[in-house]
Amino acid sequence: MSIYHDLIDYLKESPLIIQILWIMTGLFIIIIIFLIFRLRSLRKGLRSKGRTIALYEKKYEAYLLNYLYSESDEEISASQKVIISQLKKSTKDPFIRKILLSLLVKLKQEVSGEISDSVQRLYFQIGLVDYAVARLYHKKWYVIAKGIRELNQFQVKAAHDDVMMHINHPRREVRKEMQLYMVNLFHAEGLNFLAQLEMQLSEWDQIQLLRVLQQLENQENLNIKSWLKSNNHSIVCFALKLAEIYSDIESIDEILKLLHHIEQRIRVESIRVLSVLNAVQAKYILKADIESRSTEEQIAFFAMMENLFDVSDESFISAYVDHPVFEIKVSALKILKVINRAKFDALKTESTDPHFLRIITFIEKN
Amino acid sequence: MLNYIFQILIDLFHYLFLVYTVSSIAFYLILTAISELETREYKRKNSYVNYKEIMSSSKSPSISIIAPAYNESLNIVENVRSLLSNHYVNYDVIIVNDGSKDDSLEKLISVYNLVPVDLLINEQIPTMPLRHGVFKSTNPAFEKLIVVDKENGGKSDALNTGLNISTSEFVACIDVDCLLLEDSLQKMIKPFLESTDKIVIAAGGVIRISNSCIVKDGKLHDVNFPTKLLEQGQILEYIRAFLLGRMAWSRLNGLLVISGAFGLFDKKLALKVGGYDRNTVGEDMELVVRMRGYMEEQKIDYRVAYIPDPLCWTEAPDSYKIFISQRNRWTRGTIETLKKHRNIGFNSKYNLLGMLSYPYWFFYERMAPIIEFVGIIYFGILIITDKIRWDYAFSFIILAYLFTVVFSLIALITEETTYNQYKKKGTGVKLVKIAFLEPFVIHPFVLYAAIKGNIDYYFNKKKKWGEMTRKGMTKA
Repeated sequence: MSIYHDLIDYLKESPLIIQILWIMTGLFIIIIIFLIFRLRSLRKGLRSKGRTIALYEKKYEAYLLNYLYSESDEEISASQKVIISQLKKSTKDPFIRKILLSLLVKLKQEVSGEISDSVQRLYFQIGLVDYAVARLYHKKWYVIAKGIRELNQFQVKAAHDDVMMHINHPRREVRKEMQLYMVNLFHAEGLNFLAQLEMQLSEWDQIQLLRVLQQLENQENLNIKSWLKSNNHSIVCFALKLAEIYSDIESIDEILKLLHHIEQRIRVESIRVLSVLNAVQAKYILKADIESRSTEEQIAFFAMMENLFDVSDESFISAYVDHPVFEIKVSALKILKVINRAKFDALKTESTDPHFLRIITFIEKN
Repeated sequence: MLNYIFQILIDLFHYLFLVYTVSSIAFYLILTAISELETREYKRKNSYVNYKEIMSSSKSPSISIIAPAYNESLNIVENVRSLLSNHYVNYDVIIVNDGSKDDSLEKLISVYNLVPVDLLINEQIPTMPLRHGVFKSTNPAFEKLIVVDKENGGKSDALNTGLNISTSEFVACIDVDCLLLEDSLQKMIKPFLESTDKIVIAAGGVIRISNSCIVKDGKLHDVNFPTKLLEQGQILEYIRAFLLGRMAWSRLNGLLVISGAFGLFDKKLALKVGGYDRNTVGEDMELVVRMRGYMEEQKIDYRVAYIPDPLCWTEAPDSYKIFISQRNRWTRGTIETLKKHRNIGFNSKYNLLGMLSYPYWFFYERMAPIIEFVGIIYFGILIITDKIRWDYAFSFIILAYLFTVVFSLIALITEETTYNQYKKKGTGVKLVKIAFLEPFVIHPFVLYAAIKGNIDYYFNKKKKWGEMTRKGMTKA
């Protein structure tokens, strides 16, 4: 007790700053103790949560397998009805609902055919679809995004309008889920959302949409031409990618117009796509004003020329063999080698620049 | 009169120390709070992203992994195998053998069936010449591998060679001994592709320490907590720096450094600003500052992204000698970069970069060891002259120590609630123990290395990179 009193006396007699420092020290000690216990409970909690999840997973996996593999003449057997009712009750608990959902998703990915249809049916029967639809009206963006993803995984086409209302959601994560839902479930038709999309379609979104589209068997009805006219530049970029992937020759006229688009990125991409589509008209348009275009466009044009040149381009190409931009120079030399070998060979003797000669030698060999 | 002036100076000195201490604590607290918010947001945003979706797309942008290697014969074959096992679809691996004196090249040639190839290189950045040339594999299984053998020119020179050779849109510059997780490239490329309002110029990832971890077939098999206090202390340091510090700077878009161990860059921009600076040992920080400076000057909206996922695991020094040498180099790198770009500091033309990031790095990273050292000297003088107020000194020291412990514990809790890499039973106690011991087993050596780094910078200009002896990761 005397030590305690001595400490109190010492503090009382100390200057104010010392008193504050010791109070803060005491506070920090309490915080440290709290943090240590918090860390301990977190680690313990995470371990026990893992165990609980494993336990529930085992229990509900058994239910699901019983449901899926029970045979009956009726549409739904008595034992299946019991399981449905039990699972329906369980879904009231959000923790169990989450486990059940992850089990169903896992199952859906692993099985196919009738069993997959049964999983889908069960999803509706135990009322999980209602929770997912309800999520679409939640205040928090990540709840909405998860809801859309779930509806996508279980192919709930009926939620189209509820999902569509998030087309211009301020969070890109929600928009991305909405877009994937549309394309996954409604295929090419699903892309009609592009007409109403006001926000930017990021490269990440575009790549994911393309991945889904490329998996589809029927790729008709893609309205590429109209998307190429969009005021939303990101949609134009996406349409250019589609035109390239699907070799959409019908879009060439529209893409030619994009050679004069206000955004450089679109002009460069258009040149690249026109090259892939072998659109010779583009060559003549670009040859006429190539000098006034940016370096990126010039590089893209010369890459195109490697694909679309003919003998009549010799004088034009010859003017670029000394171009300061490496890519342009290399392209011009490659073309010249094919068009006029003698002229190309003569360059070796005319030049003393070692860098230039290195390029010539490389092109000569390859 | 003289005494009076002297007393005023001493008082001023005291107040400066007080302001410095209080402001640094305030900064730490603010950064911690921002980090917590940002980490939570990141986890939420990425909790349901399926990274497998993007890696299978033929439209994924191309990435070159550039890994400079100097005398890495011991682990080079395994390291390359690890780099080749990435799940991203559109990438290649460029190993730049920077004039190694050992048999690194011979080993690579033999294991990966390499043959010399003729390659037209656009030398946009001057580098040391090639030695044995460029090699590619005859085995289609290793078609993504390019090995460049060149004269020794240092890490920056090797990275610049990689930049010249790469034909990809993005370059991931890494240390060859780093173990990249299979989905690391997908996660790193995401911010570049996701951003629609700003151009992402670079992205950095969290570096984790692989000492004592088990590696199988070039993949991280089992995460273990090392037994040496030095290694444990560095693990805590890395968690604190990457999960609290950098995460907050990322939120503020004020990140000045991307670890040289693993960073992804927009190649066109990296080339435009001239690539890595060969005259600094802090080339990773210097490039980011230069790229940021360029974007500010061009008045282009940009962002340096940061990925808190543990994507890259690297071997940390396990001896104090190597540890001090490494930290010495980091200090010199920071001084060199800040000095080279001093026009940015406190310059409103550079916005947040000039008015916040640079001043923070200058005062709380570059000056911190000097101020601490001066404080220790002053403390010693007061003891010798018997002018010390032990009641003040003692309470301040205790408080500073407890603050460090609190900060470390918050970092550990963040780690537990996010990535939870050290799951094994008993590790929790070790983590708490090292939070208490770190100020004794790590910090004094960091301070010593930083002071030595300052001395070397000003008085030993010839000093460049220190030696890093590799032991290699534990194989299963």
